[in-house]
Amino acid sequence: MAWVTDAIKSSIGKKFLMACTGFLLCGFLVMHLIGNLLMYVGPDVYNNYAHTLHSQEMLIKVAEFGLLILFAIHIWLGFETNLENRESRKTRYAVKKSKIPERKIPYFLSPENYMLFTGVIVFIFLLIHLGDFTFNITMPDKLKGREPYDKAIIIMRTPLSTISYIIGVLLLGWHLSHGVTSMFQTLGLKHPKYDPMIRAIGPVFAVIIAVGFASFPIYAWLIPYDPYAAPGVEEHQEKSHSLTHSDLIAPLCSHEKTTFEPHSAWATSLNRV
Amino acid sequence: MKLTLHIWRQSNKETKGEFKTYELPDVSEHMSFLEMLDVLNEKLISQNEEPVAFDHDCREGICGSCSMMINGQAHGPDLKTTACQLHMRKFKDGDDVWIEPWRADAFPVLKDLVVDRSAFDRIMQAGAFVSVNTGNAPDANSTIVPKMNADLAFDAATCIGCGACVAACKNASAMLFVSAKVSQYALLPQGDPERKTRVLRMVAQMDKEGFGGCSNTNECEAACPAGISVNNIARLNREYFKATLTSRES
Ligand code: HEM
Ligand code: FES
Repeated sequence: MAWVTDAIKSSIGKKFLMACTGFLLCGFLVMHLIGNLLMYVGPDVYNNYAHTLHSQEMLIKVAEFGLLILFAIHIWLGFETNLENRESRKTRYAVKKSKIPERKIPYFLSPENYMLFTGVIVFIFLLIHLGDFTFNITMPDKLKGREPYDKAIIIMRTPLSTISYIIGVLLLGWHLSHGVTSMFQTLGLKHPKYDPMIRAIGPVFAVIIAVGFASFPIYAWLIPYDPYAAPGVEEHQEKSHSLTHSDLIAPLCSHEKTTFEPHSAWATSLNRV
Repeated sequence: MKLTLHIWRQSNKETKGEFKTYELPDVSEHMSFLEMLDVLNEKLISQNEEPVAFDHDCREGICGSCSMMINGQAHGPDLKTTACQLHMRKFKDGDDVWIEPWRADAFPVLKDLVVDRSAFDRIMQAGAFVSVNTGNAPDANSTIVPKMNADLAFDAATCIGCGACVAACKNASAMLFVSAKVSQYALLPQGDPERKTRVLRMVAQMDKEGFGGCSNTNECEAACPAGISVNNIARLNREYFKATLTSRES
């Protein structure tokens, strides 16, 4: 198996792994964004989604472990390649200028020069984010017994979290605006037919991710919704206990079923403000 | 025109270098950049000072010897132009010009602007050859090569091995150079038999020489006087991946 370790240790192999893990992490971001967008459909839909997701214990465990591995590989190699790249030029230039004629962003602002920096900030944000939502250690009292939607609103209305989320996702976008286009090149996916598309996909994907995720904390501040007035998990329990797939998607696609209507449910909770 | 030159002076591999400033009062705009340095050197020699050492040979943009950073850009401000083909009309009266050697640990400075680029030779020796005896020139069209492949291989083969890609890259990576050399063979039937071993060995040698990895900033392509495209780097990545998975030799 020396060929495997040789390949992984080579400069191209490391970048290949960075690109693969980066790609899978992008897949996670897309799923996460789609899930979160249910917040805009209504509290009940979002709560149902969150409860159903968390009732799949095996799936959650496997996904969390997978993400942990992906992040570990991506970050480890990020540091390692960055270190090697610095090592390869110990004496710096006194003067250095880009020669790319069609450069739109000045060299000193270009995302490719800040991949490790943006990555590290994203990682710090990730820790705050996990502390808020997953491990529930930053504000356990406020969140006790609350529904996922209300938790999300409470967390995102906490000024420190608001700021860290917005900075975190904007820098993630900056990371991705170079990263995603670069990923195609690293994986050898290049062809004149697709060149314009590949050049565009990094910035476009980055904007979608950054604007998409940044919209949630802004929305949380803007809506006139009182999360403390909404019923807690116990009051909702019968509903959330035995959820099936059709319960989850029913409110999205059917008007006949009357178990609950997201818009009216939302409206009632709004009325309570 | 009058120029103020800031030139890196270093007497050998071991000593530490520094910038020295020289005034050159009447530079003709018709001179090439190297001719301007020649004039400076004649002046230095007449003053009993050590002339500035710089590499040069053909002075017509084909040998790739004239390696130097001019105002922070490999081979100076002109695209697809070597330092020897750069003309002084690109500069204005009163300009400051900073001249530095290529900086990469794999290219140690030997003296002033001269660097040791034998790392490139060792990468070539690792695989950039076809080891079958080709015999006499074959009949035309006995080996059919699609025109597009011939053109792409030729484009890759125009690499003059000057090292500007390494010099311009923030990681001092040699990926553009290696990718051009790998592509030039991979695209032609003559290079096919040794295709997998070639790419594995050349990349291994590239890493061993201490070049950095590729961050896909495309600075190399812009700095390349031969206009080698970063498409070759994507091809190198593909070739390396395929060879890793399917080579029977290692
Ligand atoms: C959700 C989180 C993340 C995603 C989706 C992501 C995605 C990507 C992608 C697609 C690439 C391009 C790979 C290539 O050039 O082939 C990349 C590069 C990179 N990532 Fe991330 N990344 C994330 C988080 C991080 C973190 C937390 C770090 C480090 C602390 C990091 C450090 C880097 C570095 C240093 C590079 C550049 C490698 C180079 O230019 O050679 N990333 N990332
Ligand atoms: S001296 Fe030959 S390319 Fe400049």
